[in-house]
Amino acid sequence: MSGRRLSQGGLIDRSRLLRFRFDGRDFTGHPGDTLASALLASGVRVMGRSFKYHRPRGLWGAWFDDPNAVFNVRLRGDELPNCPATTTALVDGMQARAVNAWPNAENDLKGGLDLFHRWLGAGFYYKTFMWPDWHLFEPSIRKMAGLGAVDGKAIDGYVADQLHDDCDLLVAGGGAAGLAAARAAAEAGYSVVLADDHPTLGGSLYQGDEPIEGEEPQAWVAAQVAAIRAAGGRILTSTTVFGLYDHGLAALAEDRGFARAPRLWRLRARRTLVATGAMDRPITFADNDRPGVMSLQGAAEFLGRYGVLAGQRIAVLSNNSHSAPIVARLRAAGAEVIEADPAEGAPRALGGKRLSGVQIGARKIDCDTLLVSGGLTPTVHLWRHAGGKLDWSAEKAAFVPGAGPDHMLAAGAANGTFDLDPALAEARAAALGTPHATGASGYRVRPLWPQPGSKGRQWIDFQHDVTLKDVELAARENYVSVEHLKRYTTLGMAADQGKTANMAGLAAMAAIQGRPIPEVGTTTFRPPFVPVPMELYHGTRRGQAVNPLKRLELEPQHRAAGAAMGEYGGWLRPAWYGPEDQSAITAEVQAARQAAGVFDGSPLGKIEVMGPDAAAFVNFIYYNTIATLEPGHIRYGFMLRENGLIFDDGVIARLAEDRFLISCSSSHVAGVEAMLESWRQDGNDPDRIFVHDTTQHWATITVTGPQARAIVAALDTGADPATLAHMTLTEGRFGDSPLRIARVSFTGDASFELSVPASRAADLWQAVLAAGTPLGARPIGLEAMSVLRAEKGFIMVGKDTDGETMPHDLGFDVPRRKKKAAFVGDRALQTEAANAADRRQLVGLRVADSGTVLPTGAHIVTGDGPQRSIGFVTSSYFSPTLDRPIALALLESGQQRIGDRVQLRHLGQSLSATVTAPCALDPEGERLNA
Amino acid sequence: MRDDSQSWAPPPDHSQPLHGAGVTVTRILPVRQTLISAPDILTRQPAALGWPDVATGDRYSLCLRRDRVLEINGPERAAGWHDGQAISDITDGLIVFEIAGAAALALIQRGTEISERQPSRSVQRLGFGTELMLYRWEDRLRLHAPRADGPALWHRLKAHLDLMG
Repeated sequence: MSGRRLSQGGLIDRSRLLRFRFDGRDFTGHPGDTLASALLASGVRVMGRSFKYHRPRGLWGAWFDDPNAVFNVRLRGDELPNCPATTTALVDGMQARAVNAWPNAENDLKGGLDLFHRWLGAGFYYKTFMWPDWHLFEPSIRKMAGLGAVDGKAIDGYVADQLHDDCDLLVAGGGAAGLAAARAAAEAGYSVVLADDHPTLGGSLYQGDEPIEGEEPQAWVAAQVAAIRAAGGRILTSTTVFGLYDHGLAALAEDRGFARAPRLWRLRARRTLVATGAMDRPITFADNDRPGVMSLQGAAEFLGRYGVLAGQRIAVLSNNSHSAPIVARLRAAGAEVIEADPAEGAPRALGGKRLSGVQIGARKIDCDTLLVSGGLTPTVHLWRHAGGKLDWSAEKAAFVPGAGPDHMLAAGAANGTFDLDPALAEARAAALGTPHATGASGYRVRPLWPQPGSKGRQWIDFQHDVTLKDVELAARENYVSVEHLKRYTTLGMAADQGKTANMAGLAAMAAIQGRPIPEVGTTTFRPPFVPVPMELYHGTRRGQAVNPLKRLELEPQHRAAGAAMGEYGGWLRPAWYGPEDQSAITAEVQAARQAAGVFDGSPLGKIEVMGPDAAAFVNFIYYNTIATLEPGHIRYGFMLRENGLIFDDGVIARLAEDRFLISCSSSHVAGVEAMLESWRQDGNDPDRIFVHDTTQHWATITVTGPQARAIVAALDTGADPATLAHMTLTEGRFGDSPLRIARVSFTGDASFELSVPASRAADLWQAVLAAGTPLGARPIGLEAMSVLRAEKGFIMVGKDTDGETMPHDLGFDVPRRKKKAAFVGDRALQTEAANAADRRQLVGLRVADSGTVLPTGAHIVTGDGPQRSIGFVTSSYFSPTLDRPIALALLESGQQRIGDRVQLRHLGQSLSATVTAPCALDPEGERLNA
Repeated sequence: MRDDSQSWAPPPDHSQPLHGAGVTVTRILPVRQTLISAPDILTRQPAALGWPDVATGDRYSLCLRRDRVLEINGPERAAGWHDGQAISDITDGLIVFEIAGAAALALIQRGTEISERQPSRSVQRLGFGTELMLYRWEDRLRLHAPRADGPALWHRLKAHLDLMG
């Protein structure tokens, strides 16, 4: 005989029948059932197999504390792995299958592994699978290990809703204490959220049938719910507070039904009350893992909530006063109950897959079910998440909340107050912040901990198959810290995270070492309190939203022109235009050199620095002297970090005496703005300098090449490009809109950067192409621009510089020798390291074989003796202009090696090249003014 | 090189509103948005709005920080340093969405921690993975975001509206 459904009682709806399958067999249940309760009611005892030995496992608990019944569940084509049977609500049509068992939990072929248990103790694989290489064994071990398997099919619409909210008081737990606290706080005017993981509030109230404050449990709960709602409090059922974080942030997972992703609540609570109740502890004795050995509290829960009697002839083994009312209720429900005292002798469970009895000392009790209670353990996980301490209560033989953050409260069983009336008083006082004197506890418990050296296989962690002998072995091998014990034996690392195992494990270690339990301490409690799907953290941040790129105003135009788009510095930009990259890039480079290239440079930084101290400020920020820059003029320069390393490069324009425009690298806009803001407030008067990032207000179209001037002249801008000197800037008009024209070049050819408000970008793009196309101009992408600038030896920061590059390594040496004003990085440029003779310097490389493009990243190595890297290729392309490969590199003492032949190594390949100056095209700069 | 064009959907059409249960998101186009910074800007513009202040009409200022406001549809001002103020036209730099309907705040709460019980002198905050300026306008919410983040923000808002049913 095993579990059965009673004709009355529980919170289920007996008027409806739900059909489901488990391990290939048909069963029925009712709305309100979990998979576990429905199976227990149907007489199923074996619902799973243990992780390592594949021992048969029955239910231990009725809710989140059950480590044994874990299923893969399929419903209407959707399958979820590793569903705890005790917390998965039954739905008509479900097909459940025990994980880690084949063909089913009842008859698992791998159950034979248990025969080898003597050789499979804690840490056996660390010791066994070493020779010749543990990787050889890894695939087999992985295949054997693990619980449920995913079916590889994503569930349509499985997206977690995520929201933020706040409240004055979050009450975690909807049992008696939680309901009382929530009602008191709500009626006192606080904004209250009460969250409970059950669909029906009441916590453990249904385990007994005693009235609460004169009412039946269901009526009392209904009254509290109505009062809380009437006072404006919010109640979230089927919602688990699974983590508490800094600054009062609570994470809640709201169950929305099978195959629907839970909803994540990020709740900021000014106070949090932990009213999460307490769990029954297992008793550690020989063969205590037999199906049929259950938690006393769990059996009471099955009876109270689901109307299921766990067994017919039931032995009860308890060391505490809370068992009496449950025993009475079991008897009232029709069970034959035999009470036993653990003090009578060492217990041993009898039977195989089904319990047949229990031997306690000389006394043998025939029974089909053994309900055990080793004492109550307050559910203190959330308390610890928030940084609360735990105190050891010898009186209650349990850890209870101790000192905690001011915003944290605990009440009821979670606080070690196991008696109902004191728990209600304590909860109300905590909610209202009123003083409360803890009265005498009616709870009595006789400590009952694992006895090291005792006979038989005694399970500590049911799911992970950690026994008392494993703990003893760990202690012998000096894994005496509870944290080391956990990791060596995997105790507490199963899906239930040690809810049943941790107390027994640390008590065993304490006994082995002869230390008091509080001295051994607990392992660290971390969120999530119960397993939650990764999707909960994912939400709508998926696909393109995982790391969204900034989008150009002209993207539709680029796509229409056949652009291949790619990520560059956080923006989606045109890489080239056309179906094939190399031919397109070549054509674009040739067009730019022979006629004109039209380039979307909108992401280039446009950070304005304004104010009376702006000139001194940018002079301090830049390596180069900026103070002497005249209005309307532009200067190239570097920004350094305080350690003298290059942070960014670009041009800066002076728009007025007290107004500068910094055009930093596209990918560095946010970083440069942050750096400017930082220095503005450090050593400068922040009231006299202001930094505005206007980058996205402006769209910039660069026209570069021999026909650039003619193209710009064809636009009706009100400015004459012929009179605009290189490195100057003027303002004009584009229709009704302002237009900035900057004469600055990143290609070595005459170039004009035309900037208009972003909403006019499409019109300007169209106008430029209309003027340029007849002259041979065409759009060019980032790849062509990279070639064009490399032909001139112009660097890209981050590509042609590394984490050691200083400006003089690139040939910009004058400011560090002659600039008198202080600037960021000045001191670091004067150090011994900065002046070392073997610094890596920017050079060009030329290969003899005109067909060989050097691999970017190839190392330049010493030619004699053991090879050593003395530099590397930073940029390398085939130059359509020069009809040969070009390359830039950072090379030790590079300037002294110009003309030298050097060896390169790349992935086993040997190459050679001649060191040249970085600039490969037009070193005299004649094209600039052509 | 890799062509990632297909990995990124073309930018959405902001001209068509997004509709969800009890909420509509519409792009609006202010005539002018002006960044103004000055040490005494909040003395000069004491009515600059924070959260949960309510803006009305077409013309108002938003407090961004103690020395900066965003002026919406204010007078045309010359950019630069004038009269002790740093002024920049940012009209096209910020995209503006208006969220109307009973579920407007619920939608925003999907992307940022906000509550009418938590006031802030500034309308600036992080939300939906980007910088936002968020405030109440009459019976609606408005948010301003960097223009180039507009497509991603629109995408996230739409995804949340879909989830809200």
